[in-house]
Amino acid sequence: MSQLFDITLIALLIACAVAVIRTKDLLAAAIIFSAYSLVMCLIWQHRGAPDVAMTEAAVGAGVTTVLFIVTIARTVRRER
Amino acid sequence: MKRALVAALLIVAAIPLLSIVAELPPHAAPDSPAYTHVSAHYLEHGAEEAGAENIVTDVILNYRGFDTNGEVTVIFTALAAVLAILLLPSEERVEERPAPAMPVSMVVRFVVRLLAPFIALFAVYVIMNGHVTPGGGFQGGTILGALVIALTIVLGEDEAHRLLPRPARPWLQAAAPLTFVVIGIAGIAVVGSYLGFPAEEPWQWVRTAWLVILEIGIGVGGGAIIGTLFWTMEAER
Repeated sequence: MSQLFDITLIALLIACAVAVIRTKDLLAAAIIFSAYSLVMCLIWQHRGAPDVAMTEAAVGAGVTTVLFIVTIARTVRRER
Repeated sequence: MKRALVAALLIVAAIPLLSIVAELPPHAAPDSPAYTHVSAHYLEHGAEEAGAENIVTDVILNYRGFDTNGEVTVIFTALAAVLAILLLPSEERVEERPAPAMPVSMVVRFVVRLLAPFIALFAVYVIMNGHVTPGGGFQGGTILGALVIALTIVLGEDEAHRLLPRPARPWLQAAAPLTFVVIGIAGIAVVGSYLGFPAEEPWQWVRTAWLVILEIGIGVGGGAIIGTLFWTMEAER
């Protein structure tokens, strides 16, 4: 059961990583990257590293997403 | 000429680094120190030797305090570099289009106002309790920074800037390295080594107090740095 959970999370993680690279819409990429961080946070927690999980949730899913979005708002939204 | 010089310097720097990497035990080698005695020692004796029930705090603030000292200095330096780039005189930049006014919906406004005190309380709890439960200065500081960002979005820049008086900002941004230097020098005075913690019987509360002070310094510094980054990137010029 626990292994199934792990495999599901890692599959989701890889799907997110591929989607981030493939999308040309930078705003979508920032949001998918935030989802990636959320999945990574669950993996850290499941692997017994709650400290890292908290950092991942706060930095990866929260702050960097905001900074990415601010940057996109100041530049262009589509990758050329 | 200049290129050749840079290449030569890079090669000179790379040789010692690569030779050190070659000395490291191979990846996942079962006889490397991490798998034989180091982890076991930390888990078994961490709480009594280093003074915090949370082993992660023992490692990052006590056993490897030097690492963390360098780390917070790097974070502060990174902020200084970002500010140096973003605060360039505006005539050197390309003509900027005016930022679109961002109306904040009533729902967001209400939810942030409702949750702000609880987020602040949670951040303080994570920072102050980092030596007992998962968390600590880095995590709590990020939560503080996220709170600053949320409040800035809801209240608008002017009111948010008033929350943090301008003269105090450099001190808050540099709080983490400053705290490390102060505790480090206190360690020289009391124990005789930089970032040394008193471990003898009646002085163990001092050690815990120093750990908490370091966590507070890291938390305040981290929150201020994340908040300033957002303010600087978002500011209209």
